[in-house]
Amino acid sequence: MAWRGTALGIAALAGLVPTSATAQDDAFFEKHVRPILANRCFACHGPHAGEGQAGLRLDSMAGILKGGHSGPAVVPGSAAQSLLIHAINHDTLLQMPPKSKLPLGEVAILTKWVDTGANWPEHKPASEPEAIARSDGFSAEERSHWAFQPLQAPAMPPGNTAIDALLGIGHARAGLSPAGASGKRALIRRATLDLHGLLPTPDEVRAFLADASDDAFARVVDRLLASPRYGERWGRHWLDVARYSDSNGMDDNIVHGDAWRYRDYVIRAFNQDKPYDQFVREQLAGDILTDWSDANRAEGLIATGFLMLGPKMVGEDDPVKQKLDFADEQLATTARAFMALSIDCARCHDHKFDPIRSADYYSMLGIFTSTKTVLTYRVTSKLNATALASAEEDSRLSEIEKRFDYHNDFVTNYNRATTPKHVVEAQQAAEDDALAEYYSIPKAMAVAEGDAADLPLMISGNHLTPGPVAPRRFPAILAGEQRSPIGSRSSGRLELAQWLTAKDHPLTARVMVNRIWKWHFGEGVARTPDNFGKLGEPPDHPELLDWLALRFQESGWSVKAMHRLIMLSDAYQRSSRRTEGHAEADPDNRQFSHSNRRRMEAETLRDALLAVSDRLDLAAGGKTIPHKNFANLNAQSRSRDPALYDSRRRSVYLPVLRSALYEMFAAFDFASPSTSSGDRGATMVAPQALFMLNSDLVDEASGGFAARLAQHAPGDDAERIGLAHEIAFSRPSETQETESWNAFLDRYEAATGDRDAAWKAMCRILVASNEFLYIQ
Amino acid sequence: MMAAMQFQGIEARASRREALKQMGAGFGWLALSSLLAEEAAASGPLALRKPHFAPRAKRVIMLFMFGGPSHIDTFDPKPLLNRDSGKPLPFAKPRIISFPRRAGDLIGSPFAFKQHGQSGAYVSELFPHVAGIVDDLAIVRSMHCTNPRHGGAVLEWHTGSDTFIRPAMGSWLTYGLGSENQNLPGYITICQALAEGGANNFGSAFLPAAHQGTPLGYGNVKAKEASFPFIGDGQRKRLQRLELDMLSDVSRRQLARSGPDPEL
Repeated sequence: MAWRGTALGIAALAGLVPTSATAQDDAFFEKHVRPILANRCFACHGPHAGEGQAGLRLDSMAGILKGGHSGPAVVPGSAAQSLLIHAINHDTLLQMPPKSKLPLGEVAILTKWVDTGANWPEHKPASEPEAIARSDGFSAEERSHWAFQPLQAPAMPPGNTAIDALLGIGHARAGLSPAGASGKRALIRRATLDLHGLLPTPDEVRAFLADASDDAFARVVDRLLASPRYGERWGRHWLDVARYSDSNGMDDNIVHGDAWRYRDYVIRAFNQDKPYDQFVREQLAGDILTDWSDANRAEGLIATGFLMLGPKMVGEDDPVKQKLDFADEQLATTARAFMALSIDCARCHDHKFDPIRSADYYSMLGIFTSTKTVLTYRVTSKLNATALASAEEDSRLSEIEKRFDYHNDFVTNYNRATTPKHVVEAQQAAEDDALAEYYSIPKAMAVAEGDAADLPLMISGNHLTPGPVAPRRFPAILAGEQRSPIGSRSSGRLELAQWLTAKDHPLTARVMVNRIWKWHFGEGVARTPDNFGKLGEPPDHPELLDWLALRFQESGWSVKAMHRLIMLSDAYQRSSRRTEGHAEADPDNRQFSHSNRRRMEAETLRDALLAVSDRLDLAAGGKTIPHKNFANLNAQSRSRDPALYDSRRRSVYLPVLRSALYEMFAAFDFASPSTSSGDRGATMVAPQALFMLNSDLVDEASGGFAARLAQHAPGDDAERIGLAHEIAFSRPSETQETESWNAFLDRYEAATGDRDAAWKAMCRILVASNEFLYIQ
Repeated sequence: MMAAMQFQGIEARASRREALKQMGAGFGWLALSSLLAEEAAASGPLALRKPHFAPRAKRVIMLFMFGGPSHIDTFDPKPLLNRDSGKPLPFAKPRIISFPRRAGDLIGSPFAFKQHGQSGAYVSELFPHVAGIVDDLAIVRSMHCTNPRHGGAVLEWHTGSDTFIRPAMGSWLTYGLGSENQNLPGYITICQALAEGGANNFGSAFLPAAHQGTPLGYGNVKAKEASFPFIGDGQRKRLQRLELDMLSDVSRRQLARSGPDPEL
């Protein structure tokens, strides 16, 4: 609130301050003058120095002109009459800084500043608006950016489904005739891999082939959506966006021992078809939405793990910078995940491309600095947790956390020269005791409300050069310039969650339906799912995007409803075979006139390898990283321990470690767990081929697959080859293929003297082939 | 991004089927990687790019000696520090300090320095042999770092930032210069430590993934045991030949069935 007072003081003093300051003067001040004052003077005369040493504050023009016990510090326009300039020259009794003189260059800068009128950008005459208000002006181009416009229901042309009608506009315009429908085998394979990340079983394929009814595929979709395997696949998509990780990465790779609860929450949310607006609100404010009397209390707490999971430089020595850095990561992820905006670009300056001002950034950042994320900000700070059972247990946990944090801080930071050994040992023992109690309490990685306060805008992103205060509120381009501040009663996370999920928010629904579309088709309606700003690509089919977003809201934000809409369209069911002219007229398939072939993602490939060999363990949920909170995986290369991945469970349950991603995941373009991403790459690089040829996983899968074939088709070679094709490719083998395989088996047996080895080699080739790896 | 660029290149020239025909029998997938690599040589992210000035260096080898001896004990003598060793700090403590409870007095270097070679560069008695070749070295003594802690400092050294995820210097080099060799990665990192920044020390951050360092072994792996992932031991060479030929047949049959596609 001190900053408010300063701002009010301006008007009264305006007459004393030169009024002809230019942008150049402002830049000179920000670049040269303010940093000197901040670095050299603020420790005793700055924002954290109370009334200031000798009653002098140098962090505002009001303070400078009021001066301290010796009188005003500066006479604008006259260095010779200014006490400040005499003091820094050490040419009077008053010598500042007291112990060492400033470098000559800095003295010259301050002298020039005073002589040219001592411009202080926030100090403008009352007739000019203050800095923050002034920056709100947007150009017509900025205002008319597509993503900031309200959702609009399009006029609907005829078509089998609304999706096909809207895509038909583009087909007609481009003169494209869309590909025909996929065969049933390709369709059920595509749908099963898409919704479950698993291959259809031969029985499932046969049942679909046998069902000649009109709604046979609709029933396949319903069956797939009703299975818990669905959440394991689509939850994983969201975990990319949430930069889910079981460890911190960065300087100290600290274990997120309770992150698995958030992972399971996400999987549950998709399986239960939790309305997306509620899903958003819970992840940002689940702790505020629920209280201890609420049956959903645990769910709400766990959901806020979304905000906790980011990579944190816990070794940062400066607690203020640490707090800002952690909040920055939370804000960047929130803005990117829900709005596909890069708000964090405005940390040091107004956004270069989007109408997001630096003031907007600090208005939003204040929401997260008002949120409790760690126990205390210090070197090796510890993440916050909340007990799940009851308010009483959580109070107990808080008390244990306090003890643990105190003793841990002592043991980490004590003076090794002067502290007696027995004191350190006693502290260590006390820390261990606290930790043992801590581990005995079931808890969630969760944020809590912190001390609600607005932040000053940090000039050039530097927290040592604070500017005018930026009240917590939402970006002007989205919320309007008349937006009201959040106020001081809460962090503002709840308000943020409600604002994001209001029906008139132009981004939230658009961004999510675009993500859903992309995860179905391989490309979004707008092709940059994480960037709806100016540098992103505008949607190829804006009417379709808006129609989907409106339907999403009308369906009660039901993700499963969107799956049904999309999968029952002709567009989804098209063959991946291009017809003549597609490659020339629309090489990127922006009109979705045929299906995109896509390589299996890392998890799908691993799960499929386990499944063909009948070794996939479908156990769901639970803790799968063996280490507990606060363990540092840097020690003894624990992060590279192959035992971490020695599991036959679905890939979504394998530990995800930053800085040491599982090699198989890394080779197959798993999303970086350090930043929010809804846009995995798909590279084709040599390690992938090497993995298929040389890895233990493929070797074991081939062996297991061959053993399964021997068990289920022990007699006839042709039957065995046919079954292999049905399992791996969802189709029987053709006569010519069977002959070719027979010849191969003989060749291989001749070379090795081992028929079993030949079967295993066949299995290896089948799973390494494009028909297996690519979704048609 | 890499994939997208390569695919567009392929598409403009030939369908997958034609491409494979041109390759003769080929061995399917691996052959395709090599084809894509040639394509990349012309237009891909690792394509050779001309720098602004004719370079003299052919390659850059950086040895990052984590835990090596301090500059004040090796190449950067501090006479005043030695003079005042044992005295308290002559100036106010910095605003932020690591382990403030441990901050003690000044400590000078216990090692003697002498000037060497025509350059007259200082080298401490720790490095008598290095001192003999000092005129062949460029020693930079003006570096400083804003983060005094291991992890932050190591990240800052490799990427220029301890706060944000930023590309490593090697990533910038391959981004700016490309690579002359399309068969091997342009940027390799050997036995990188997993601690203190880990993969971020050789990551490409916002640059295309093709520019990230390819790790060969990791910290705590002995140099002889370091290998690229999934490289195999060559024991199954003859059998793999059989398998690859068959894989190639399988791929050809599938292409005939499903038509060319740039995604394959």
